[in-house]
Amino acid sequence: MSRRYDSRTTIFSPEGRLYQVEYALEAIAHAGTTLAILSPKEGIVLLAERKIISKLLESSSNSEKIYKINDQTIVSVAGLTADAEILIDRMRNDCQQYLKIYNKLPNTMQVVNKVCDFKQGYTQFGGLRPFGVSFLFAGYDSLNGFQLYSSNPSGNYSGWLATSIGENSSSVQTLLKQELNANSTESHNDITLDDALKIALKVLSKTSDNTHLSADKLELASLSLQSNTNKPTIKLYTPKEIDNLLNLHDLSKKEEE
Amino acid sequence: MDIVLGIRLKDATLIATSKAFTRGISILKDSDDKTLNLNKKNVIAITGESGDTINFAEYIKGNVQLKGLREGHEMESDEIASFVRHELARSLRSRSPYQVNLLVAGVNDKEEGFLSMIDYIGTRCDLPYAAHGYAAFYTMSLLDHHYREDISLDDGLKLLKLCEEELNKRMPMDFKGLNVKIVDKEGIKVIDF
Amino acid sequence: MSDPSSINGGTAVAMVGKDCIAIASDMRLGSQSLGVSNNFEKIFNYDNVYFALTGLASDVLTVSEEFRMKTNLYKMKEERIMEPETFANLVSSSLYERRFGPWFVGPIVAGINSKTNKPFICGFDSIGCIDFAKDFIVSGTASDQLFGICEALYEPNMESEDLFECISQSLLNAADRDALSGWGAVVYIVTKDKVIKRYLKSRQD
Repeated sequence: MSRRYDSRTTIFSPEGRLYQVEYALEAIAHAGTTLAILSPKEGIVLLAERKIISKLLESSSNSEKIYKINDQTIVSVAGLTADAEILIDRMRNDCQQYLKIYNKLPNTMQVVNKVCDFKQGYTQFGGLRPFGVSFLFAGYDSLNGFQLYSSNPSGNYSGWLATSIGENSSSVQTLLKQELNANSTESHNDITLDDALKIALKVLSKTSDNTHLSADKLELASLSLQSNTNKPTIKLYTPKEIDNLLNLHDLSKKEEE
Repeated sequence: MDIVLGIRLKDATLIATSKAFTRGISILKDSDDKTLNLNKKNVIAITGESGDTINFAEYIKGNVQLKGLREGHEMESDEIASFVRHELARSLRSRSPYQVNLLVAGVNDKEEGFLSMIDYIGTRCDLPYAAHGYAAFYTMSLLDHHYREDISLDDGLKLLKLCEEELNKRMPMDFKGLNVKIVDKEGIKVIDF
Repeated sequence: MSDPSSINGGTAVAMVGKDCIAIASDMRLGSQSLGVSNNFEKIFNYDNVYFALTGLASDVLTVSEEFRMKTNLYKMKEERIMEPETFANLVSSSLYERRFGPWFVGPIVAGINSKTNKPFICGFDSIGCIDFAKDFIVSGTASDQLFGICEALYEPNMESEDLFECISQSLLNAADRDALSGWGAVVYIVTKDKVIKRYLKSRQD
């Protein structure tokens, strides 16, 4: 019976639900965790955990969770990597097309809005499967400064100070809330990028299913402003730099219970 | 033979267009306005094929307004100039290209004057002062000579007056005077000239 | 007179030296005989590629924006920058795509390969035929004059400062003999780990 409402995205179930969209969300709930913390004045940190790594796997690129969209936007992915690549390609092309017309990169909000419109289309038209992908967007623009958004397969998106998607995302969010309250006696506004980085690593080390955090399972990136030029700059951390950070914050081993 | 002139000041931009509307050898109107306000801080002055001018100007205005509405903030001068150039360059290689030349005048987000000259080919050039067509031949020498980086509004208007006198002397046709607009951080004003 | 490549005027030149390259252009933008701007640079930079475009100013802008897009996308997809040799072949195929409605430009590519440190220059016609050269490449409305003076002044394996002097004198003197070129000039001297950009004062008539 339920098959009738499962197989097509275009049809509401009698309870008013779109099963395919919910299943897509479920796919994401099993994907590697990724989290982001916004430091409104200094930048944004993106941290992601890779799900399966075999020593035998030859990876084609350094990153499969975090991607650059343009000089002022990065995203991290939770969900089907193949689906994500389609959307990322699209976002990159859209941004460059925009740059050609207006000689300016689109604001973060426009990038997010455009790709989410596209995602939404797949929940409504032509018996297509929705994209099994959620994103965290870290962006900077001169109009609104640093911004952090998350999106999901339905095409919904929302802005955050800190959030997480993927496996264990709800417990990560709970921890983020705790850590951020504990850390800044004042408002979230004053949190530094270094603090954000530290908290991100700490939170992931607590929620991760892996006993150790190690560089080969992590991807880390930050978006900040260059101090001399005030232009946005993206830093994708190398495995070595991640290891150094883990050692620095004493997180290479999971804390003893 | 239409006249469009622009002078960029530190914190404002002046734009002047002839009032005569001509077709062939006849002047049909002496109160033509060749400018169109795109938004609060940007205006274009446009000449060329008579049907194309209005159609293209309205098309640009429509898009500028739409983008302003969608994104919740007005388009900036250099974005508009880029967009206009892009549209004309695209149109040039289409079946029926727009034959229009224009100036984009405004103030940018730093409240500095902005002036860009764009022709029907899609050549864009940001300049301190600019003119299209024959008017350029008569006024450029005056503008070269008298223009200063820190020219005041008063001196800008005086310079414009000088240009008008020269044009009246040298142009073979009565262009029925100039419409002058000034764009500054307060917005766009038509001024008595 | 209505030849698209000589409406706006402008000229450019590139040269190879010892472990360095130089590329230079004038700064004039005109409308036939009327000079419109003395601030129109015709050299564009995409990481370690330097790209000069002469010809129809509208197409100079369009083509430079097109290649900004293509190099940006390449950089993100390949996770490395585009080398001058690669870029040259991209330019060639992109221009040939428009074989029967070309961009009216005369492009020059110059740069130093970031892996091999080998200097590279080449030029193109408007439909993408590559002209590989060991010595120099000229383009634009003063290209005839440039051929002459470059042939006279150029010698192989110049050090960067000599190369700067050579390319500057070549450009300046060629542009002075062309009514559509001049009005200032810009020169890039590129070595393995340093880029110097200099503006040249030139006749303003």
